[in-house]
Amino acid sequence: MAVIEVTDLRKKYADLTVLDGVSFSVEEGEIFGILGPNGTGKTTTVECVEGLRRPDGGSIRVLGLDPVKDARKVREQIGVQLQQTQLPENIKVWEALDMYASFYDDPRDWRELLEEWGLADKRDARFGKLSGGQQQRLFIALALVGNPKVAFLDELTTGLDPQARRTTWELVKRVRASGVTVVLVSHFMDEVEELCDRVAVFNRGKVVAIDTPAGLVGGEHRMRFTLMAGDTSGVAGLENLPEVIEVSREGNRVIVTGRGDFATAVTAHLARHHVLVGDLRLDKRTLDDAFAALTGRSFE
Amino acid sequence: MMKLAAVETKLLTREPGALFSLLIPLFILVVFGSSIEPGDTVLLPMALAIAVGMVGLYLLPTTLATYRERGILRRLSATPVRPGNLLVVQLILQLILAVTACGLLLAVAGTVLGAHLPTRVPYVALVFLLGTASMFAIGLLIAALAPNGRAANGIGVLLYFPMAYLAGLMQPKDQMPAMVARIGEYTPLGAFGQSMREVWAGAAPSPLLLGVLAGYALVVSIAAAKFFRWE
Repeated sequence: MAVIEVTDLRKKYADLTVLDGVSFSVEEGEIFGILGPNGTGKTTTVECVEGLRRPDGGSIRVLGLDPVKDARKVREQIGVQLQQTQLPENIKVWEALDMYASFYDDPRDWRELLEEWGLADKRDARFGKLSGGQQQRLFIALALVGNPKVAFLDELTTGLDPQARRTTWELVKRVRASGVTVVLVSHFMDEVEELCDRVAVFNRGKVVAIDTPAGLVGGEHRMRFTLMAGDTSGVAGLENLPEVIEVSREGNRVIVTGRGDFATAVTAHLARHHVLVGDLRLDKRTLDDAFAALTGRSFE
Repeated sequence: MMKLAAVETKLLTREPGALFSLLIPLFILVVFGSSIEPGDTVLLPMALAIAVGMVGLYLLPTTLATYRERGILRRLSATPVRPGNLLVVQLILQLILAVTACGLLLAVAGTVLGAHLPTRVPYVALVFLLGTASMFAIGLLIAALAPNGRAANGIGVLLYFPMAYLAGLMQPKDQMPAMVARIGEYTPLGAFGQSMREVWAGAAPSPLLLGVLAGYALVVSIAAAKFFRWE
């Protein structure tokens, strides 16, 4: 069942077209990525879906409701973490959670959220005294305190160190595991690749592709190596591996094209037949390459 | 809504600015109060106008503009609660703060300093209400126009001093050029201070000045509502 359906969404600011016919749908229980460089309409799209902005055209359904007309009902069932939002400097962690919980009809117990998000020992700390990672965890906890069916997380790891980003990713997986559908806005390829079931790639106010991260990257990778002295008859059998598409050989130099996890299959096959190789290189397509292919420009 | 009000109240008590707007007028009152004659009718109205002016022109706009700058109003609009509730709560709290500041001044002046307290309470309440309304309206306009909290703070301070001067809060009115004093009476803070002095002297406040205050409150708050942005 689609929890969010966006059809032909359009938005202009003065003369600038920000959204030029955006369509996608988000299925229940998935982590749906909205990926693209800054300024391609990702946040505007999500803010229209959240009912914070009115689109100029197109239609939006969130849990079957119109986010503008049924604003209250929609907001009751969604949780939001916004980009560049702060809390008052002097509010304590528990006060923020307690207050936000009181805004909803059927909130979660915020004490549980404190525990789950590792903020129990920061219960009485003031917002201004928290580290970036702690503030971010508090924002996610605030997005979940209303017991939402859908959570929107906008650029949630921007400004975090690599360790904190990894931790946050694990937490996002946990949110989904608890049955909440997640819409993740990001301009980080690695984040989307790690977390999302499906991704909508944005470029200049349009969705240029919707697919799984693996599907976007596309099947084909290439592996090159040079044969060392000794028995090389085992190379011939590579073509019969199911993951391998093509093998080309020029003297000692071999190029194998394959899809998926073909590299492991190839190296295992070579080892089994005692073929010694050197100079081994794997040219793997990344989401960056996929983006460049889709839009004709590099990501940053 | 009750939780929101409770948390906002706690935040206000943690705000140094709130303490200042209680203490600065009190400080002025006590410093100058030691040299007044018993039954003085000038100093206390002046201190009251200063207190209300500080809350309305400085604390209120700074708080609201900071809330907008930090995206607190925007974050709130993503919940089932309307951000307008936060504005209402803030207005009520700042009003309570202004009343508290004035109550403190009246209590200290009435007991320790032996200053004259007016007997016609309804007039005092009326002048206080209209004066506070006009000050808060200006505060709201500042909050609407200022791009961030610091700018709101700056604009508030920048407006406060000339207004306080024109209102005769910085030096006695009879030492000011007559023309300036005359104009000053029709500024919001001036009309407020002058009405207060009239009430303290035992008279009824002049309807013209009350009208001026009401006019400011109405026109400026309409402008504030027109220019206000949630983000």
